[in-house]
Amino acid sequence: MRKTQFSAVLSTFILCMAVWILLTWSFEIQELAAGVIVSLGTALFSSRFFIHDNAFRFLNPLNLIKLVLFGFVLLKEIIKANCSMAARVLGGCKNVNPGIVRIPTDMKSDYGLCLLANCITLTPGTITMDVAEEDGQNYYYVHWIDVTETDRKAAGDVIKSKLEKGARRVFD
Amino acid sequence: MVVRIIIDVFIVIGAFFALVGTIGVLKMPDTVCRMQAATCIPTLGVICVSIGAILYASFVLHSAENAIKIAVIAIMIVVTNPVGSHAIARGAYRADLRMDKNYKVEPDDYGRDFYE
Repeated sequence: MRKTQFSAVLSTFILCMAVWILLTWSFEIQELAAGVIVSLGTALFSSRFFIHDNAFRFLNPLNLIKLVLFGFVLLKEIIKANCSMAARVLGGCKNVNPGIVRIPTDMKSDYGLCLLANCITLTPGTITMDVAEEDGQNYYYVHWIDVTETDRKAAGDVIKSKLEKGARRVFD
Repeated sequence: MVVRIIIDVFIVIGAFFALVGTIGVLKMPDTVCRMQAATCIPTLGVICVSIGAILYASFVLHSAENAIKIAVIAIMIVVTNPVGSHAIARGAYRADLRMDKNYKVEPDDYGRDFYE
């Protein structure tokens, strides 16, 4: 088990406290004290599971801007996928050929893999089932509702081309 | 008045995508395909309804407090949804949960690599 780092605890504590203040929106001393206690407990127990390297990465404004730009790319992909899913459902679920394809990915770091997997799951029509590594190359197993491309590399381009470019700009 | 119309348009778009997701859940042939259709609801359904609610809170009720709370809730739903979605899909696959045993998933790389 990895050790608890001070910077990881601090960043998790700041995140928890910010969410607490935004959700309660009261600045009395009792509410704030309760928030500090709960956030500190959460940070102490959970920080070692999800902060692995640089804890204050997104305090750098450049990284933050990249993340926000990636949000817009993701929103565009979500809108496109939603429209095609709406057409498929309202057309009577005709062109449904589900399949699970193994697509290669260029992401290296754990954060990048996790971000891209969650973004693929978030677009309607594709769900990430698993991540595997083979000979230094990472693969996703993606459940795809309408398999139009049987070549795995081309299928990967169809599923995640723009998302991967954006995600690579945010991490690694 | 114009603001009210914009709010209504956003909420109607969100409700439309929630309706599409619900119809998809009822009509799709397979467990994971039903989940695929249901992904419409927490993405564009929640986003559009939240945008409408944020505009309502800031321009009609004039309370920044409620607008910020709604934004936090929307971000929470969008960020946490794929984790649960992924876990349920994988669990359903591993439990071999199929409604129709004759229905084939083709191609099936996951079954090929892990179960044979």
